[in-house]
Amino acid sequence: MNRMRRYGFIIAFAVLLIAPLAAHALHGAWHPAPVVESGARLVIITPHEQDIRNEFRWAFADWHKRKYGQAIEVEYLTPGGTNDIRRELNLKYRAIREAHGGHLPPEDQIDLGIDLVWGGGDYYFNSQLKPLGILHPLDLDPKFLAEVFPQPTLAGVKLYDQDKDRFGNPLAPRWVGICLASFGIVYNPDLYRALNLRAPRTWSDLADPRLFRNLSLADPTHSGTAATTYMVIIQRAMADSENDFFNLPQNHGKTAAELKSTSPYQAALDAGWKKGMRQLLLIAANARYFSDSSPEIPNDVAGGDAAAGIAIDFYGRVTEQIVGPDRERFIVPTAATAITPDPIAILYGVHGKQLVLAEHFIEFLLSPEGQRLWILKPGQLGGPRNRSLRRSPIRQSVYADRAGWADDVDYFASARGFNQRAEWMRTLSELPSIWAAAWIDDSDDLQDVYARILSIPDENRRSQLLADLSDIPVTRPDVLKQVAQRKRIEGDPTQDPNIWKARQRLAWSRRFAEHYHQVAQETVGR
Amino acid sequence: MPRITTRAGHRLISLGLYAFFILFFLWPIYRVVDRGFTTRSGHFTFQYVELIFTDPQLLRGLVNAIVIAAAVTALCMLLAMPLAILSVRYEFRGRGLLSGLMLAPLVLPPFVGAIGIRLILGRLGPLSVLLGYGHGAGFDWLGRFRAAGIILVETLHLYPLILLNIQAALANIDPTMEQAAANLGAHRWAVFRRITLPLIRPGIFAGCTLTLIWSFTELGTPLIFGFQTITPVQIFEQLTDVADNPLPFALVVVTLAVATALYLTGKVLLGRSYDTAVTKASIAQSPQRLRGLRAAAAAVPFILVLLLALLPHVSVILTSISATGQWYRSILPKSFTAAHYLSALTDELAMPSIANSALYASLATVLGLIVGLGVGIVAARSQLIDRGLIDALSMLPLAVPGLVLAFGYLAVSVSLQQKFGERLPVWLNVQEMPVFFLVIAYAARRLPYIVRPIVAGLQQTPIDLELAAANLGASRLTVLRRITIPLILANIIAGALLAFAFAMLEVSDSIILAQKAAYFPITRAIWELFQRLGDGVYIASALGVWAMLLLTFTLLAANALLGRKMGAVFRI
Repeated sequence: MNRMRRYGFIIAFAVLLIAPLAAHALHGAWHPAPVVESGARLVIITPHEQDIRNEFRWAFADWHKRKYGQAIEVEYLTPGGTNDIRRELNLKYRAIREAHGGHLPPEDQIDLGIDLVWGGGDYYFNSQLKPLGILHPLDLDPKFLAEVFPQPTLAGVKLYDQDKDRFGNPLAPRWVGICLASFGIVYNPDLYRALNLRAPRTWSDLADPRLFRNLSLADPTHSGTAATTYMVIIQRAMADSENDFFNLPQNHGKTAAELKSTSPYQAALDAGWKKGMRQLLLIAANARYFSDSSPEIPNDVAGGDAAAGIAIDFYGRVTEQIVGPDRERFIVPTAATAITPDPIAILYGVHGKQLVLAEHFIEFLLSPEGQRLWILKPGQLGGPRNRSLRRSPIRQSVYADRAGWADDVDYFASARGFNQRAEWMRTLSELPSIWAAAWIDDSDDLQDVYARILSIPDENRRSQLLADLSDIPVTRPDVLKQVAQRKRIEGDPTQDPNIWKARQRLAWSRRFAEHYHQVAQETVGR
Repeated sequence: MPRITTRAGHRLISLGLYAFFILFFLWPIYRVVDRGFTTRSGHFTFQYVELIFTDPQLLRGLVNAIVIAAAVTALCMLLAMPLAILSVRYEFRGRGLLSGLMLAPLVLPPFVGAIGIRLILGRLGPLSVLLGYGHGAGFDWLGRFRAAGIILVETLHLYPLILLNIQAALANIDPTMEQAAANLGAHRWAVFRRITLPLIRPGIFAGCTLTLIWSFTELGTPLIFGFQTITPVQIFEQLTDVADNPLPFALVVVTLAVATALYLTGKVLLGRSYDTAVTKASIAQSPQRLRGLRAAAAAVPFILVLLLALLPHVSVILTSISATGQWYRSILPKSFTAAHYLSALTDELAMPSIANSALYASLATVLGLIVGLGVGIVAARSQLIDRGLIDALSMLPLAVPGLVLAFGYLAVSVSLQQKFGERLPVWLNVQEMPVFFLVIAYAARRLPYIVRPIVAGLQQTPIDLELAAANLGASRLTVLRRITIPLILANIIAGALLAFAFAMLEVSDSIILAQKAAYFPITRAIWELFQRLGDGVYIASALGVWAMLLLTFTLLAANALLGRKMGAVFRI
């Protein structure tokens, strides 16, 4: 008996080990790595998922063989998410700088072992990678650029890096967008019915108190796209406020340029900004949590753990298709959504034949063939081998023929009517940490006071208190002042910007906690 | 060959251990956390630590982490002690199976377990449906019972740490001591309190400190419950913040200091001095046979704990066979499929990742055993003045977030590359070949699980037996091989099992250090599948179940091969 049991365990162990081999043999879905004769190899560091990595590896190898007659193998480094990648690159370049007396040596003296960094969003590339000085200026033919990007911006957002020098001459781009992504609303129609709510159409629908503890939101300090989306809500309110101001009877007959230089105009913008912030606070008060994992939110909504949430477009669409429209729907609020490019860049120090290969990879990604791979269904000519990647191409011309696409989307058409404005985006550098202080650091206090208000039976008093709660202790001039202060501190070598930032967040957290306590006092008073 | 003195021998071992700790533990951590103590201009600063102590959120986080850890440890102790005594002292029908199943929480891959718990406690999940909340908007268990939920889930996950250690300790007791007490008229409770409890104290200390520090630094469970105000989550959130922020590194050092303080408190309360036992069980205790109702009564606590502890496993298994999206407002999935297993097992990552994991975990366990034995000998057998320091150093890895240590190894590898360039051997280049650093990382992080049982075993074993062998002319190595190791074999096996299982399931090191698909371990493969759009949860669950089975059968096969030697711990 004992002996039988002993062998039983060992046999079971062996069977388990062999199972994947057997499964492979029976359902041979294995794609053996191509044999590379020339030894050409491209190393890409990326947060992209396995499907994207594989499809582009295979397709690029085919394309490269056809176009340049050379076999090539793409190797990926995947140290985790965008933060891990930034940390690893920072580490590598810091070591290179230390070895060269504190400066980066000329590119041909660097042996980095990584050629490209791919994926993470434009906010990440602009605010995290570019300031490190580790991106190689791209040598892109202006004709090619104009062909891929007939309009260099989409709804006010730059589709590739477009910095200028101090004389206003364009500099070589450090990154170029490869596909488009945006945030929208996912909601669970079944739970919406149970909560007696009508389907959401705009961001402000998420501020409905019936959604208390029922929203899954993205953490603005962890996702640049989420932060940009929250900023769009503010810009939308500013645009409405601006519009109202232009339409005031006393302003009829004056040009926009004339009005914009007046102080009532600035006051109108301040009021719009504040309105957007108030709306965001009421949305945040409904949050069940702030997530930093992109698939988590649509999964939770589909599973019924949250009634609605803010989700990246392709996650929302895929989940809707898989669980069915009664369990999850994805919508993009019209004329109020941030559409952002997802970039690629060559790393500083890549030179010689590696540089040529890296440029080939970018050429392929921007070619119509590389662009369609993002969205074609599997089995279509030029489509993916396994699954559709369901992301939106960035090259406008490929939208003309959408046959065989997994999703019938066109951000170039749907983005019309709303433009992000660079001058209105200036508060964005400070807002994520203010939001985090108000919504996340003080979440216990916020939820507590919100619950107290909602339990008040008298409707008038309730809406008065809700108005008091959303009358948050921050104005646009406050934040603009902080933007200026940050610039000063970053330029002052005797100051430490990190400590300043941490203290700033602490101060905001205190200020908001005090505000919540005051409103909580009001609920017991009278 | 001149024989070196015992003291010199111990010193030699301790020097080797210092080298190991400095190279593979202190240096990598220093490479990372120094940022929490450096200003922009490169000067040393305490400003970040000061900031931590002026931030009410961070202070509240520390208090919450300590309170939750203490509660988890106390509950685990209450749960494990009776179970350990029942399983070692009594024989009843099904005892082998039940006490084997008690270790089930050890084979659950961390974030796969999280998927299971989230599903069970979902607003419209099986628990809600079962209790009549399945209609309307359901019931938000995760949101409503945060602290209590965290304590419950961690207790049900961590009690095996204490259980295994107490079982090993009970197996080491000389039964004649208790018999003598009973003969002298002591009541059963008096025997337990005055004889048994003091004798197994080293085992209790080992289990409790492991549980205390683990639960103090546990990240996954509070993350599932969305509990933000607790130190590990606060560190994680700040580490993954888009902005580059040195504050979390200062927070890591504060965490280390608190964990050390907790450990030392435990030592004062439970560990006392390293008094070694005076007698060793020369005969194994024969368990008392229970029949009929009493046997059934003995099985009840096991079954109750199992019902709760196995819930995440059951949930993961059901998820892995549920048709996508078909477990909603129902106790069981509405329709089933085997497709997820096919997708998981035919994935290009599945097969190589198994082989990789088995290799890394085995090498790490061997390395851990060598280092752990060294620590045990210095801590429990030497008179060295710094033996307490070595013991404490071996516990520190438990308190450092995996993310930080893993990144430290990366930093060490990169600085070696810059220093030696082309001359650097490829196995020291993490990017090209991470095997060396992965094994080191697994071994270092899981060292405490090996050290604690070994020290406990040595404390329970009289040194006289070794001295007698040495007197009879045995060399020190022979004493170690023929006397010491066989005497504490139960403890060594307990430690090795824990270390191997946890190494197989290690997540953060695996994600940061294994960057190329060819070197992915199984946890990294599961993580990759989890990222898949739409059906990722189901396919990850399928590979998770499969990893769970593999680990279970590895342990059972090891048991079958080791035969009776393992019986002292497992009694299967």
